[in-house]
Amino acid sequence: MTILLAALLLFAAASGTGVVLTRKPRRQALAIAVNGVVLALLFMALQAPDVAYSEIAVGTAAVPLMILAVLASLKTDRPEQ
Amino acid sequence: MKRDARLALAAAAALALLPGIVLVIAHLPDFGRHPLPYGEAINGAATRERHVTNMVTAVNFDYRGLDTLGEEFMLLGAVTGTLVLLRGRRGENVSDAPAEAEGRPIPPRSDAVALACRFFAPVLLLFGIYVVLHAQLTPGGGFQGGAIIGSGALLLYLGEGYRIWRRLVRSHLFDAVEATGALIFALAGWAPMIFGAKFLENILPLGKTGALISGGLILVTNAGVALAVAGGFVLLMVEFLEETRTTKEDER
Amino acid sequence: MTVLPWLVALWLFAIGIYGIITSRHYVHLIGCLGVVQSSTYVFLLSAGYRWGAGAPIFYDHPPGTPAVDPVVQALVLTDIVVGATVTALLLALVLQVHKRRGTVDPEKLQPMRR
Repeated sequence: MTILLAALLLFAAASGTGVVLTRKPRRQALAIAVNGVVLALLFMALQAPDVAYSEIAVGTAAVPLMILAVLASLKTDRPEQ
Repeated sequence: MKRDARLALAAAAALALLPGIVLVIAHLPDFGRHPLPYGEAINGAATRERHVTNMVTAVNFDYRGLDTLGEEFMLLGAVTGTLVLLRGRRGENVSDAPAEAEGRPIPPRSDAVALACRFFAPVLLLFGIYVVLHAQLTPGGGFQGGAIIGSGALLLYLGEGYRIWRRLVRSHLFDAVEATGALIFALAGWAPMIFGAKFLENILPLGKTGALISGGLILVTNAGVALAVAGGFVLLMVEFLEETRTTKEDER
Repeated sequence: MTVLPWLVALWLFAIGIYGIITSRHYVHLIGCLGVVQSSTYVFLLSAGYRWGAGAPIFYDHPPGTPAVDPVVQALVLTDIVVGATVTALLLALVLQVHKRRGTVDPEKLQPMRR
């Protein structure tokens, strides 16, 4: 087990834990972006460049944007009743 | 049920599964040292049979094209569900002005963000098209390129602001783009049957290995998936961002 | 330490489920669901790895050089993109819940008792 692969695996476990333990959703969007970058590095180390492409585009750009847009709507919406 | 009851139940389930988990991990093959028969078969045969150099694309769009057809329609279904939920609830009376939360002013767009996005958005869109077109040669493909094109459209929003962005990105156009992508994939499956071959069989001329036009039917299915994924992501972003606008009654 | 990838996948799965159980905000719950999904990606890609092999792209070296398994990579990359759109669908459902009930706290959204 090379040091790089072991370090990236532990780093991915740590960033996943960070996503779960960040309770406020606005901060969690940033944690999800960091998790996306770490996972993309791990996938590159596992010799999977295609998967790293998908993970970076999705995990750092698309999902955090959707979460932030939904949080903005939640704050400004008024419930029906 | 209460949170502590949920946690206790989960802990009990984990304890009950623990012997099974330990057994499975002990019997899993060594990491990196076990035979990969299907992978080796494809690595050895795909370049000769389909004239492509990206094995992952060959698996995705040719050898297991049926699974990708299912995945693409899953994507279409999820995007359609989101659009129906959001558009149906919102109706037609949203304006262009952003909605405000009480007591918090809306900060204006900073010049640095606008400059950086104006520079990088065309670069990113061009890069996304490059990734889509070189699917069968270098790492890339419809799924990745579509996601990158979606991120490029997002940078356009960050750089220009909502009003100009909505004029550039018309949702009717992207509705059509996404549906066309799924239709292209389905037609690429049925077209070989007209000529007597099987569903999704590669009947187009295969071309030279390493050239941009190679791989036969992979080009068509790849383009279909890229259109569907890019259209889907842009549509999702448009819908979610439109949720944050005020309704027309509030504006008055 | 050759079981480290399997242990990391198991840890991510477990902590994701723990986050779903103890969540107080539906958007946080959706983030934890993403962590559970990423555990499966780590597991699949580790199952397809081989020591000393390169990526399964033969553009600049001839086919026949050792390469990792392309089948699991094909599975994972479509899964990531489709997972993002399913996340979008779940977020739209969260907006609906907020509109009807005024809250997005799973603890407060217990079904009505007779």
